[in-house]
Amino acid sequence: MTHKITSSQTIGPFPHEAWRWAETLSQAGSTAAQRVTIAGTMFDGQGVPVSDGWVEAWTPEAVSAEGERPIPGFRRHATGEDGGFRLELSLAARPRPGEPVAWITLFGRGILKHQFSAVFLADAPGLATSDLLDQLPAARRDTLVAQHQPDGSYRWDIHLQGERETVFLDFM
Amino acid sequence: MQFDDVEPGVWPSGIHSPYLSTRSRGPLQPPVRVRAPVPANQGVAFVPSLVGAKDLDLTRQGQGAPLGEKILVTGRVVDEDGRPVRRSLLEVWQCNSAGRYWHQKDQHDAPLDPNFHGLGKMFTDDDGRYRFVTIKPGPYPWGNHDKAWRPAHIHFSLFGNVLAQRLVTQMYFANDPLFRHDPIYQSIPDPAARERLAAHLNMAYTDGGTALGYEFNIVLRGRDATPMGL
Repeated sequence: MTHKITSSQTIGPFPHEAWRWAETLSQAGSTAAQRVTIAGTMFDGQGVPVSDGWVEAWTPEAVSAEGERPIPGFRRHATGEDGGFRLELSLAARPRPGEPVAWITLFGRGILKHQFSAVFLADAPGLATSDLLDQLPAARRDTLVAQHQPDGSYRWDIHLQGERETVFLDFM
Repeated sequence: MQFDDVEPGVWPSGIHSPYLSTRSRGPLQPPVRVRAPVPANQGVAFVPSLVGAKDLDLTRQGQGAPLGEKILVTGRVVDEDGRPVRRSLLEVWQCNSAGRYWHQKDQHDAPLDPNFHGLGKMFTDDDGRYRFVTIKPGPYPWGNHDKAWRPAHIHFSLFGNVLAQRLVTQMYFANDPLFRHDPIYQSIPDPAARERLAAHLNMAYTDGGTALGYEFNIVLRGRDATPMGL
């Protein structure tokens, strides 16, 4: 018999105190792995930065490299007043080609259901043959690709709505 | 695990116009359904030591007892096959009995309670059960429209056993007369799915001398879990 699922409701504007523990712990501790920085801004459909959004990033391939950290492979960030977020991720020693550098989950006031997404590095090997990207409409694949910046970091903006709307995922 | 399509009307749609913030924040495109073995079969690992005894009893986080009606909230977290979602992390947060959040941006003109912050976290046990003690939250105004008052609720964040089970929702109290006026509750099209968000008074969990017991069971997406629960 199939049990009927529990529906979703917005996280609202006030999760910060309750979610801070994991925000702090997920960014704490050292890693011997190679690091990568992905910075960006969460925008609404009017191009207004979302100042009370949340980004969770999960890199299962980096869990063993972060074995000394309190929550290995996981990051949680509140967006800033400017809608900005900055993910400092560990890279797997031998990443599987075509896998995203992180699986992403987004939350926010006015977002009635969390949204799943994923982020890839523009110069990662296997991008052209990624099984995940291959399942997306070709014209929208770029919305999951973080672009290399002159300082060595990557930029990835999230657009909740509109012409540049980020691809959100539902897993089978 | 396998993640079937969600029945129409169970998820809120991206935009529910009476809830004003959704108009510019709700995605217009439906999510793209993808085969993705990793998020369907693995999840974030949290070690048990992340949760302490005070995280389970929101009435013991200050110097003294908080004001309001003490309650116990419990239930089971299962998947669509009815199998327990074991040893999975839940976070809860809520306003106090006067309807005020412990948050610097909450400007509602109701008193803070120095003995109540309304923050909890816990793991489900081997039967999928969770349990915490708290104060019954109050309703509060939120400015979305004239006379906009939220029905009393507790926020739940669940990680499940695999990423695709992640869920954030709100637990309400059955038969709240504010339901019909609340655009967030009403954003779920299917009335039966809305009603599944309500906790019910249950005398089996009620303590004769200290607290009424409320039962709120949760079903996360996913079928065909392995015997280990993953």
